[in-house]
Amino acid sequence: MSLANTSLTCFLASYALAAALEATRLLRPMPINRWAAWLAAAAGFVAQTIYLLSRSRAIDLPPLLASTHDWLLVVAWLTVPVYLLIALLHKDVPVGLFILPAALLFVIASRFVSREPNAHLDSLRWWGMAHAAFLVLGIAGVVIAGGFSVMYLIQYSRLRHRTGETEGFRLFSLERTARLNWWCIVISVPLLTLGMATGALLTWLSQKTSQPVSLLNWSFLVSGVAWLALVVLFGWLLTSRRPTGRIVAWRTLLAGGFVLATVVTLGIVSGGMHGRGRSAKAAGPANVGQAATIGLPSTPSTGRPS
Amino acid sequence: MKLQVVYCNYRSADLSVRERLAFATDDSLCRAFEELRIRFPTAENVIVSTCNRVEIYSAPQSPDSGPTFQDIARFLSEFHGVPLDDFLDDLVFSTDDEAVRHLFAVAASVDSMVVGESQIVSQVKKSYELASRCEASGPVTNALFQRALAVSARVRSETKLVEGRVSIASVAVGDFGRSIFDRFDDKTTLVIGAGEMAEETLRYLKDEGVGRILVCNRSRERAERVADQFGGEVRPWEDLDRLLGTADVIVGAAGGDKPLVDAARFRAARNAGDGNSVFILDLGAPRIFTPDVATVDDAVFLYDIDSLEATCLKNRDARRQEISRAESLIGEETARFLADLSHKATGPIIRQLRESWHDVSRQELELVFRKLPALTPADRQVIERGVERIVNKLLHPPLETLKDEAQAGTHHGLLDAIRRLFRITDP
Repeated sequence: MSLANTSLTCFLASYALAAALEATRLLRPMPINRWAAWLAAAAGFVAQTIYLLSRSRAIDLPPLLASTHDWLLVVAWLTVPVYLLIALLHKDVPVGLFILPAALLFVIASRFVSREPNAHLDSLRWWGMAHAAFLVLGIAGVVIAGGFSVMYLIQYSRLRHRTGETEGFRLFSLERTARLNWWCIVISVPLLTLGMATGALLTWLSQKTSQPVSLLNWSFLVSGVAWLALVVLFGWLLTSRRPTGRIVAWRTLLAGGFVLATVVTLGIVSGGMHGRGRSAKAAGPANVGQAATIGLPSTPSTGRPS
Repeated sequence: MKLQVVYCNYRSADLSVRERLAFATDDSLCRAFEELRIRFPTAENVIVSTCNRVEIYSAPQSPDSGPTFQDIARFLSEFHGVPLDDFLDDLVFSTDDEAVRHLFAVAASVDSMVVGESQIVSQVKKSYELASRCEASGPVTNALFQRALAVSARVRSETKLVEGRVSIASVAVGDFGRSIFDRFDDKTTLVIGAGEMAEETLRYLKDEGVGRILVCNRSRERAERVADQFGGEVRPWEDLDRLLGTADVIVGAAGGDKPLVDAARFRAARNAGDGNSVFILDLGAPRIFTPDVATVDDAVFLYDIDSLEATCLKNRDARRQEISRAESLIGEETARFLADLSHKATGPIIRQLRESWHDVSRQELELVFRKLPALTPADRQVIERGVERIVNKLLHPPLETLKDEAQAGTHHGLLDAIRRLFRITDP
């Protein structure tokens, strides 16, 4: 079987298996479950890497700019090594239960969004790359922060209800989870802000092209609100005199959930973070990339089939 | 002689009940012994009162001289001013071999919440010494408690029960403290109290690498001793409120009749402090912190003795094999103790009975020898031996029966009958 035939189902199944194996640790904590989960996730990661490379090679665009489908897969792809790294460093903590569901969500969502690639980005290509990279890293950070928030809240609930620790369900301490959560937010929000700033710059640059992009697009507004929610959380984290971990976890979860919902919903409903740009449709293949770079991959109807 | 114990422990009663029945100070224990002496003048008594148990061991002079289970329950109710209905169902009553086995299990820390904890031995020892000082114990309870301490030492040396996490503090910190804090070396630990419990907890926390230790106790002298021992600092009792607001780990190990810190006091302390997460381990019975302290804010994690029960059960499960070995030793020691006790109880009667029969036979032989002066010494000796054999043969069946009954612990009636039949008075 050719590696190029690696399908989305391959790594989706691997991640689902890894998550299921992580879940079995709750019932019967054995090293074999742990190792099997890691192997499944690692296999899925390799398959996904091959899939992304194959698509990138086939359409001659980096995955970040290829299509909404590829872009969502990149977010999922980024979370997996984070899971593997933490899992290897902290073998007793079933961290996959908190991170893998997000990866699964992105992979599943990617099935329902456009796979049509963008055209070449010409002079704005590197700005587009930077824009997409900032956003993708920022969103991955928010997703991981969300996972830590869930972990915090479960641990918190256990401690408040004075329930003893279960052998297969050892979690990070509240102190550590709160710290990791804090750092995820503190790193992600500036990245997202840079993503938004480069997006604005690209919008401005597009005005000089034959296909100017208008900011008067509802998907821009929704993304902006999601970003604003995180900026407010960020500001509060940095300025609050004594934020309790539980409130931080809840706020992170709400803000992160909103961002996730925005990304996935916009991806599915409008075909990309910024929807199918009016200008892109009208522009034809040659200028599509310029419109697409304003946000994350737009889905020109005239693009090459995947 | 009869041995009995009336008790409630962490298995039979909630902390809310135990703390109402606890004898928190030596003073209250001495008053309790005095009261028991007035009510049951012929009984020996020893009270063991710890955070996990309140137990009254009694040895009445005769089985019908009391106190009964109801007598002890009434005494507890009246002494503490707690309605009988509030705790009667939580009390357990054991007699004779069960009572002995129970004390041995308690002293060997097999019955403890944290199996293998070392503190219980000194608590049992202290209880016994106090009973002795208050002249409440007697020959039977003295023998019982001395043997209990010896059994505890034997269990410790012959099993691995004392290895691993063997203190409530270690279990609490291991299961809850470590889930709150990642590390302890950058935390401030406040210990309220300077007794044995405080020392035990500090010993463990020190091993965990706690950073700053503050000891706050009513008696500064004791606080200084404990602080010196663990490299801590003494803080005046008046600073308690300020310290409550700034400490990360608080260990409540002070004695007292009622809780020291309620929600209002703690809230005020928290408002003045930095609001960081605080892990409170309340090892007192009565508790030092009222349960509503846990609701002061999101970052307060309060654990009392009962909160740790589930964790302690896991600890017990992990030591099942060692517990089983310890229980077998306890069973053996219980049988030996009861046999010794019975021997002590029946020995004097048997000796007196034997002596009195031999006295009678000697007197009768002297009469016979006086009437038959022609007997040679050899003839006399033959007759003496013959009579002695007759006496021994006649004594053998009743004494064997008595020994058998004594082994079974049901010798009291027979002993009494022998005393009356042969008019034997106690030596």
